[in-house]
Amino acid sequence: MPRTTTVECPGCPPFRALTFDALGLIKVIEARGKGGGVPQVVDRWGDPDASKCVLAACIDDRKTDPLLAVARKSGVIEVLNPLNGELSVTVSNVSNVGVRPEDDAIVGLHLFRRRRMELTSRLCTLLTCTTKGNASIKTVDMTDSPAYSGSPNTWNVCASGNIQCSQVNGSENYALFGGKGVEVNMWDLDKCAKIWTAKPPPANSLGIFTPTWFTSATFLSKDDHRKVVAGTNSHQVRLYDVSAQRRPVISFDFRETPIKAVTEDLDGHTIYIGNGSGDLASVDIRTGKLVGCFLGKCSGSIRSIARHSELPVIASCGLDSYLRIWDIGTRQLLSSVFLKQHLTKVVFDTNFTDEVKHDATDSAAHEAQSMGEVQTADETEKLPNKRKKSSKENKGSKNKASKEKEGSKKLKSKKRSKSLEHDVADDA
Amino acid sequence: MGGKRKNSESEGMEGDNDGKNSNKKMKKEKTEILPSSIKNKEKRSAVHAKLKHQKKLDKRKKLKARAAAEKRALELGEEPPPKQIPRTIENTREADATVCMPDDEELFAGNDADEFSSILKHDRTPKILITTCRFNSTRGPAFISELLSVIPNAHYYKRGTYDLKKIVEYANNKEFTSIIVVHTNRREPDGLLIIGLPDGPTAHFKLSSLVLRKDIKNHGNPTSHKPELVLNNFTTRLGHRIGRLIQSLFPQDPNFQGRRVVTFHNQRDFIFFRHHRYIFETKESKQSDSKGKKAKDAKDESIAKEKVVAHLQECGPRFTLKLVNLQHGTFDTKGGEYEWVHKPEMDTSRRRFFL
Repeated sequence: MPRTTTVECPGCPPFRALTFDALGLIKVIEARGKGGGVPQVVDRWGDPDASKCVLAACIDDRKTDPLLAVARKSGVIEVLNPLNGELSVTVSNVSNVGVRPEDDAIVGLHLFRRRRMELTSRLCTLLTCTTKGNASIKTVDMTDSPAYSGSPNTWNVCASGNIQCSQVNGSENYALFGGKGVEVNMWDLDKCAKIWTAKPPPANSLGIFTPTWFTSATFLSKDDHRKVVAGTNSHQVRLYDVSAQRRPVISFDFRETPIKAVTEDLDGHTIYIGNGSGDLASVDIRTGKLVGCFLGKCSGSIRSIARHSELPVIASCGLDSYLRIWDIGTRQLLSSVFLKQHLTKVVFDTNFTDEVKHDATDSAAHEAQSMGEVQTADETEKLPNKRKKSSKENKGSKNKASKEKEGSKKLKSKKRSKSLEHDVADDA
Repeated sequence: MGGKRKNSESEGMEGDNDGKNSNKKMKKEKTEILPSSIKNKEKRSAVHAKLKHQKKLDKRKKLKARAAAEKRALELGEEPPPKQIPRTIENTREADATVCMPDDEELFAGNDADEFSSILKHDRTPKILITTCRFNSTRGPAFISELLSVIPNAHYYKRGTYDLKKIVEYANNKEFTSIIVVHTNRREPDGLLIIGLPDGPTAHFKLSSLVLRKDIKNHGNPTSHKPELVLNNFTTRLGHRIGRLIQSLFPQDPNFQGRRVVTFHNQRDFIFFRHHRYIFETKESKQSDSKGKKAKDAKDESIAKEKVVAHLQECGPRFTLKLVNLQHGTFDTKGGEYEWVHKPEMDTSRRRFFL
């Protein structure tokens, strides 16, 4: 007997997200109106073309002059303006002649946040990494289009195997690479030197050794590059501590399909993991305990998870072509948008606010007004619901507060235990 | 008996009238008594029976009135009252954002870019490899021999003890376009795996209610012509994908003189497979015969009266498929990514369908 509960979708707070899909389209999704906005596709950039499939994307969202870098299947990296989709520069990543871009596809792309000096000179710096492990840092001048300023700094990350994930830490000094047959390794970007490599866990009691295959990796917190979380193809999530040891500190299984996406929370101990059969969960990595799953008819593999830097909201997307917005505290589905194609990546534009519009075109403004009217009508209708929600939220916040307290306690105890461990290590 | 029934009916009618009057009185006195609120069992059942009988009578009356209205309209030559449409699960289906619209340009762009477009655009001719699970007997081979007669350019290979991944590799080298694996359990086929090659999706279906050709009464024997294909009711994005996967199994240029048709009919997420031969017969209606007796000069009229009737003959097999999951890429149970998996939390309504 199937259960007959309906999943209610309360609206979500105003946000702006960009999704990238297998046909190379970039879609802009916006939700307006406080507490009950319905996200909608407001813009679509690019023409559908399978060879322009987006493989990686990175956004540098600052208050003024933000940038968006998109790596395509054809080996081209485009730098766009995320506000109106204007193409500022295209860079071809085909380094050696004779290698087809399909064979050596880009897997990792990072757009460095620009410092003041670079702002004035309109330069942007890109880190790219291909499947075969060719990593390079390029500085591109955006004033005259295809000119390189400064030679690209290229090095090889791995001798064999395929790179499948790469990540740059918050302060942008260190990069992380991992993949099929490649252990997670960390590089110092200033010196272009490998500083750490992981070691595979020993064979189990039966003598069975699972081959290395990392599918996703991320740094645990913004200012600490030493803690790294990685997901493997054999549905394991591992926490590495670079300063402690080469083997994982914590390792646990999650469901039965490969971990396809790992994203860290801002608090530095919660991570969000998504796997190949569409399960999304949050885990407290200090203990390795599952906090809870995000339930909501998610039927296709999750390719990307994004955490909003201000709102308590995450977005997930994947092969089921839905962009879903979730609440972190309640783990409830806030809303979902059907985007028609297999999605590969989602990013948030955090500087979006409801009142101030970035692209102040007249038509858009009119739209906003009409939308506002509609929403006010909706709100009047939904008043009783709203009250309920608010009460729930209050409860939720209380719970959160208590949880936080507990968390802090745990932290203290953890610290103690850690210090003990350190002592032991010292003794040894 | 009849008399008795009449008596009872008339009694019933009287009783019914009385009941109505009493009902009216009751309404005046009290609003309504639910039989379930009466505690005495005999009384309760009596009241319930009365209520039920009353309902039945009302329904019959309504039907009669409707029939009479229709008849009157016919006699007067007016428009008959509009026919009522029954509410079914299908026509009250839940609104779904993934249902494809015919004017959706993104859909067509997506279709052009997908794995099957090279076959559907006649760039590659379909070549199918059919194999089984490792243990296969009785109904399994019989079903496969019939599948071979249904799908043109299909080749059966013994499974042996090869891994499916090895078979996929082999088929890729031999330039097959799809692999069908028939899975049997306890000598009964119960699963079907369709793998698109070289990098197409893998669909896993549950197979049920299989009827082989020899068990179908008055079955026909199919010819070796390329069959026509009918795909019904594949509406959503996922449905379109499954439809295209099935379409890529068959050649895109049917031989119409073969008069063979293969149907995949989707209803409530179950895909029904049927295989028929058809024929159009011109049949003279009875009126023309009688006229022919009366006069021969009315020949033109008799020609006009000739009717074309389509006759179907089923030529098996007959089975039902239900999608279990759709995997991105070729068969890979351990490291595979799913495009669609059925999960229990999706069953929140009887009126939601995925295909």
